[in-house]
Amino acid sequence: MSDWSKVTRPIPVPNEWTKPFWDAAKRGVLALQRCQSCGHFQHPPYATCVECISTDLKFEAVRGAGTIYAYTIMYHTGDKRFASAVPYASIIVELDDAPGALLAGNLLEAPHTEAKVGRRVEVIFEKLNDDITLPQFRFARIASAE
Amino acid sequence: MWENRCKVAVSGVGFSKVTRSADIPLAAHALTAVKEAVADSGLQLADIDGLATYPELPATGHTEVDGISIVSVNCMMTMLKLPDLGWHIQVGTVNIGGAMQQAVNALIAGVCKYAVVWRAMHNPRGTYQNLPGAYAQGAAQFTAPYGFGGPGQGMAVAYTRWLERHNQDREKMATLAVTQRRHTQHNPHAYFYGTPLSREDYLNSRMVAYPFCLFDCDIPVQGAVAIVLTTADRARDLKPRPAYLAGYGQRLHFEVAGRIGSLSNYMEGGSSSAKLTWERSGFSPKDVDVAQIYDGFSASVIYGLESYGFCKEGEALDFIQDGRIELNGELPLNTFGGSLGTGRIHGLWHIIEGALQVSDRAGSRQVKDANVSFVGASAPIVTGTTFIFVRDPY
Repeated sequence: MSDWSKVTRPIPVPNEWTKPFWDAAKRGVLALQRCQSCGHFQHPPYATCVECISTDLKFEAVRGAGTIYAYTIMYHTGDKRFASAVPYASIIVELDDAPGALLAGNLLEAPHTEAKVGRRVEVIFEKLNDDITLPQFRFARIASAE
Repeated sequence: MWENRCKVAVSGVGFSKVTRSADIPLAAHALTAVKEAVADSGLQLADIDGLATYPELPATGHTEVDGISIVSVNCMMTMLKLPDLGWHIQVGTVNIGGAMQQAVNALIAGVCKYAVVWRAMHNPRGTYQNLPGAYAQGAAQFTAPYGFGGPGQGMAVAYTRWLERHNQDREKMATLAVTQRRHTQHNPHAYFYGTPLSREDYLNSRMVAYPFCLFDCDIPVQGAVAIVLTTADRARDLKPRPAYLAGYGQRLHFEVAGRIGSLSNYMEGGSSSAKLTWERSGFSPKDVDVAQIYDGFSASVIYGLESYGFCKEGEALDFIQDGRIELNGELPLNTFGGSLGTGRIHGLWHIIEGALQVSDRAGSRQVKDANVSFVGASAPIVTGTTFIFVRDPY
């Protein structure tokens, strides 16, 4: 299992588009940008709805259950800050509530070899500092209520 | 069909030395390649009246210094002091293929007669892709905290999705790496000229970002290549046999930056560019005699073969087996060795090889009866462009 205790992650810097995402994460809530016109969820946040070009977008809370859409196992230690965690799984998750929105994360609390496309995961939160809490993922512990 | 098909041709090509370390400033590499391309055409430097490039250094976390880590149009203008310069451009999207297409348009518009396009690539000291410093801004705020650095990991995640959705085996990629390295042995300009690669070397090599091992990634190098383009009527008066441009396209699909892992970003990028190219040229994949498909990471070839229409989605790793991509195969592929063989110089070398093959100028790697040549000059995602060159205008 990857040892994340010695890793120093780059700290996200919220901007005009992304601040509500990070504000929600700080409260332990996953909130994604949603088009108020057509209902489409999207991530990363953007100026317009990528489906219907509406600019009427708001952040709404979503359940943190989803599946691994894609992943990679990082072996390269070019970035020394992550070297102690190598090999580690960086994953892309598609949430049940937000098809088409793709969230990056690490697969925590499991061996990297367990990362596979289609496996069920759930969000957990990793506090980086007083301002920023990072959404992360682990294998789902409860059956999803789809 | 495109009314301007076969009205522009490639006449000359040039190469600098390709080295691992940046011993001399990049500007010197670019100058060597440009001078060689002009000489190859049988022209004088003073004949050149158009300049185009895409200068970006694709590494992250390094300072760009013109003449050292990039070679801009301004840098080239300063060096060459061209007396009749009438047109120049430096593009910001679709990589070097975009610069090439702008030069084609300028020639058709009649604002220049002989245009030079170059691509110069620097290998910075230290780690090529450095994650942002202590803070992750912009699109990186959603990726860098999780250890996503350069484009390699971005492409790796899409590749695992492709592999597992299609029940495919990454070990089949050994065929691509080994075949291209064999082609490289016919290209004295290439970084890996003289260095063979076996299937065992590929299968035993260290992982970088699974599913990519070392030999799925092109090696960062310092070097430059250049090409001279002119109108078809002028090209016929020059020394080399012209390679006529029958059509081109660029990707028309773009997904929000930072949305990594999306296969559609590659597939729709590639198919939109290829569709324009097939329609403008009047050809289809079955007409193609030889193909160069960008391979900065091996999976790019997979997305290219599928999105351009050479095979169905999910089939590309089977398509490249059984000798099909050998020099005498059904679809000789990356016949100059690809970026995996030459080192990381981006897609202009693919364009050069596409042109050389229909001009019968590819030396010991020449494909027999290469009349129609296809080029996918960048990864179909973000920077994708496609081209068709032909031996005979039509």
